Parts: sequence; structure tokens; C-alpha cells
Amino acid sequence: ASNPFTFPRSAGEEKDWAAAKAHFENLKSTKPRPPKPKNAVTIAVSSRTLFDMVAERKIFEEEGLEKYVQHQQEHENEPLEQGPAFPFVKAVMAVNERLRNLYPDSEELFDIVLMTNNHAQVGVRLMNSINHYDLTIERFCMTGGQSPIGYLKAYMTNLYLSKDAKKVQEAIEEGIAAAIMFKPDVESQLSETQLRVAFDGDAVLFSDESEIIVKQHGLDTFFEHEKQHENKPLAQGPLKCFLEALGKLQKKFYAKNERLNCPVRTFLVTARSAASSGVRVLKTLRSWGLEIDEALFLAGAPKGPLLQKIRPHIFFDDQMFHIEGAKEMGTISAHVPYGIGQKYNKGKLIEPEKQQK
Amino acid sequence: MEDKKNCTGPLMIALQYNDLFDLDSISTSTDTDALPKGRAFTFMKAVQTVNERLVEQNKSDCLLFEVILISKECSEEIKTKIVESVKHYGLEIGKFFFCKKEELINTLQSNKVKLFLSTERDDVYEALHTGIPAALLYDQADDHVFNQLTVIFSGDVIGFSEDSLDGLSEFGFSETQIETIKTAKICMKEFAVLIGQMRRRFGQENSPLCTCVLTSWGSRNVCASALKTLREWGLDVDEAFCLAGAPCSPILAVVKPHILWDGGLLNMS
Repeated sequence: ASNPFTFPRSAGEEKDWAAAKAHFENLKSTKPRPPKPKNAVTIAVSSRTLFDMVAERKIFEEEGLEKYVQHQQEHENEPLEQGPAFPFVKAVMAVNERLRNLYPDSEELFDIVLMTNNHAQVGVRLMNSINHYDLTIERFCMTGGQSPIGYLKAYMTNLYLSKDAKKVQEAIEEGIAAAIMFKPDVESQLSETQLRVAFDGDAVLFSDESEIIVKQHGLDTFFEHEKQHENKPLAQGPLKCFLEALGKLQKKFYAKNERLNCPVRTFLVTARSAASSGVRVLKTLRSWGLEIDEALFLAGAPKGPLLQKIRPHIFFDDQMFHIEGAKEMGTISAHVPYGIGQKYNKGKLIEPEKQQK
Repeated sequence: MEDKKNCTGPLMIALQYNDLFDLDSISTSTDTDALPKGRAFTFMKAVQTVNERLVEQNKSDCLLFEVILISKECSEEIKTKIVESVKHYGLEIGKFFFCKKEELINTLQSNKVKLFLSTERDDVYEALHTGIPAALLYDQADDHVFNQLTVIFSGDVIGFSEDSLDGLSEFGFSETQIETIKTAKICMKEFAVLIGQMRRRFGQENSPLCTCVLTSWGSRNVCASALKTLREWGLDVDEAFCLAGAPCSPILAVVKPHILWDGGLLNMS
């Protein structure tokens, strides 16, 4: 007897696709159909990054799983408050709308997936909340306690945002761009028409190879080294592919003469200085064929004030020191737990026992 | 919450012998005492684990799984081999039925089978068509864990409205296929009610029974509708997946269900 799942996938998958299309068209609403995962830039957000679940989390930690699920079910019809990834998701939806206007038949769009290891019963409240805010999230994965890592790959995830450090680390180790989101201490007014994404350079877009030199040999050695190797591209870091994906979508707007009005803007916010170590970074990006809209070299100055001016929907950095500084001044920050920076706190090497795993 | 008076069990599941044993590799098998293990093995082990855990909780629990083995035409030699092999592996098979292919449906009906499981998509579809609850026995890797039985219910079958299902005719689905999907929903209900009762014997964590909803085509509202309907039927599912047209094989490869209730829908060729 043959395995029923080995006949040509494309035939069956096309039928699934046709059925999904049928359903969406049948809805007689303006709900846009989600793109095929292979064509989309898929962003997986956890429930705690999309919504504010701080109070609920407390119940889980203090009273256990059963009480937590019960609480969520009892409050099922009360929409949750917005979480740190909410403005990012709204901005992404705005970009999609612009893309659909310019390219009605294209599937090169963002796709947001709710990726949570909550039980499905908690999911009802999450879905009700998504309905309340009318978010375009049609795909989700509620793993009922299982690790989401296998599912991240199954959903072809390009970026994973979560509050759980362990899961994010696992994702990065599996080659998926991921970051731990933090809610800022003060609120900022963010653009609703332009998605603004800020990246740190070393150990985020690039590998931590230069970061290692700073930590182990000091700044002077670092400057010398960078100058000498100016023309040698740095190796890529965990968020490089996400920048690349953003760049591809940006080019679609440029192709339609919308460069000045592009709803996606990217920023590099690095402690490197323009005069010396900064050149290597720009040359590396060029060698990758990637553009970044604004490159800001701080030469070691704090990032907080500058980010406050930029007002990104998300700022990726590998060092908690910078995350905290950004947070304090109202920037939604996302920690990328990658590279040598994880072993240091404010420039000092953390004792091995104290290092976060 | 023990319903000793309302004994709704046992939950009878029918398997075909060619799923339980791998008849294709008999000639290459070195074990002459028993037939080689087939695709249904991990399912059997998982079912036995659930039964053990149920009895652990309540010795007189009558809502247990009972598996019967159905065999199409075969020789006396094979019949004996089958019975011996079942004993050899310590499998808990309640009854054996050896019948002709034409008698399969009748056998299932007369034995009040609550679920007919098969890897043969056509058999599942045919059974559903005649109103017998049937689901796919999902093929699994050999190293799958045995301590949990995983069941997936199709969120599309349960959550789609009548109108939406009727609308599928515009997209290449035949009347027969649509009717089968509707019948599947009715069949799923009885099974879901029983599984719901079983599931409630255990807590959120460490349950030997894991239930899921997989919505392959429908929007999130279809999935939400499926979750609520299942809840009304007495089953609070553990996991939910909504794919909105994305391929489901990658998800299935991670979930690795034993029982896949798709109403004959998924990957229909």
C-alpha cells in the first residue's frame, strides 16, 4: 500500500490554495487573501509581544497553568491591550496595503503569523482580540505547550519576535532571525504610514567578529583592525536576511517611482565612528547588494537620544546595555541574543555562572 | 466528575491488518515468529498508553479504547500468523474479523465502530461516504514517542458554514465530495464527544491524549468557529493551527498525528 502523502505535492497544494482562495472570495468582504508563504516575508509574533499579557502572565507564574487557562477563558470576550509588537504589526499592514495597490496580483507581501505556545483555549481570546483590532492575521499556530521552533520552519518564518529569551536563542541557533521584545518605559508617537526599522551593526546585521576584538583587545586594536580590513566584507549576522527582505520590498516601490514616498525606511544605528571603523560597514553592505536608508555612526555616544528622534517601530541590538538605554527613552527595542556581547554586561565580562543561557 | 452510571465506552476503533503489519516486507524479514511491524504500530502503542493512564486514574473506567482488527480475504496461514503476531507483540486487539472487501462496510456498521482508521485514503473516503466515521491513519517516523496519542480534527469541516461548503462547487469540488464533507462533520461529532470525555480525565499538562484543530483553508474565524463548536461538543482542544491556504504537510510533519480527521479533504487529488 502506498503512502497517501507522497503523491505530487503540487497537485494537492494547488487544490488547498484554490479552496482557500474560494473561501476568501466567498467572504464577500474586503479581507485580503494571505500570500503563499514561499513568496511572503513571514513575521511570527508571540501572543505576549502582540498583546499586553503582563497581568495574565503573573497569574500563570503565581497560580499555575490551569488557573491561567481558566482566567483567559473567563475573560475571553474582553480584548487584550496592545503589546510591544503591535505598532510594528500595524505599520506592516499599512505597507501591505500600499503594495497591494501598486501590485494587485503580487504575493511579495508581509505575512504575520501568531506563533504562541499557549493552549488553543486561550487562543479564542487571542482571536477575539485580533478581531477587535481588525488585524490582518489569518495564520496562527497555538502549540499547547510544545516548542515553536519546528513550527517556525514549517511556516517559513523570516523573523520571530517573542518575550521568551530561550525560544529566541533557539531560533537564532536554527538560523532564523529572532529577537526578544521589550516594551518602552515611555510611549512615543509612531508613524502609521511608514514602517521604520532600526538595526545595530555588529552582531546584528554583521557577525560578532569585530565585537570580539573590541572586547578582548580594546578599542585601539579594533580601529586599526577595521581600517586594515576595510575592503574585506564582514560576515553576516542573524538579522541580515531580514534587512535583505525589507530591501526587496523597498525596490518594488522604487520601481513604481515611489522612492520619496516609500513606506519602508531602514536605519543603521552603530557605535562605530564614521571616520574610521564605519567605512568597512558601508562597504560590506554594498558588497551584499544591500542598501540602508540612513546610517548613523555614534562613535560610542548613547543610542537612546538618537533613537528617540528616529522613532522606529522596532530597534534591534545585541547588547542589553543599549536596549535598556533605548527603552528608557521610549524606543521599542528588541534584543538579539547573539555573539560575544552576551557574555558582557556594560563592558565587563560576566562570570560564567551568571551568564544567561 | 466520574460518570460511572453513564458508561459510554468502549471507544471502538477498527484497523486493517495491512496497516498493523507490513506484509510487503515478509520475504525480507528475518523474524519468523511474527509478521513485520506496520504503520499502525506507533498508534497501537499510543492507544495502549492512554488506556493504561485511564485505568490508573480509575480502575473501573469503562470509557477505554478498544481496537478490532479487520482483515480482507487471506489464507488460513496468514490468519493464524496474524493472531500469533498480535500475541507476540503484546498488542491489545479485542476482536478479529476476516471478511471480503464487499463486507467491510457492513462489518464496521454492525460492530458499532466509532472510528475506522486506515492509511488508504480511498477506504476512508468510501466509509465516510456511507456515514461511517473514518479518519486517516497518518504515516509516521519509527522513532515517534509512544506516550501520547495525537488526534487532529479538520477545522474546515467543523468550522465552515453550510453556505461556504456549498460554494466549493464553484472551485472544482463535486457534489459527492461536498456531501462527504458534511457527513464527516456529523461523524466527527460523536467521536469528539467521546474523546472530550476522555481528555477531561487528564489535566492541561502531561496528558497522554493530545487533541488539535487544523484549519487548512478557512480564515481565522472558521478556526475560531471550529474551536467553539468542539467546545460545545465537550472537547477543549489543546493545539490549533490555522493555515489559510499554506501547505499543511510541513505542519503535519511537526505535529505527527496518529489520527487525522480531514473529511477526505486534505491534498485531494
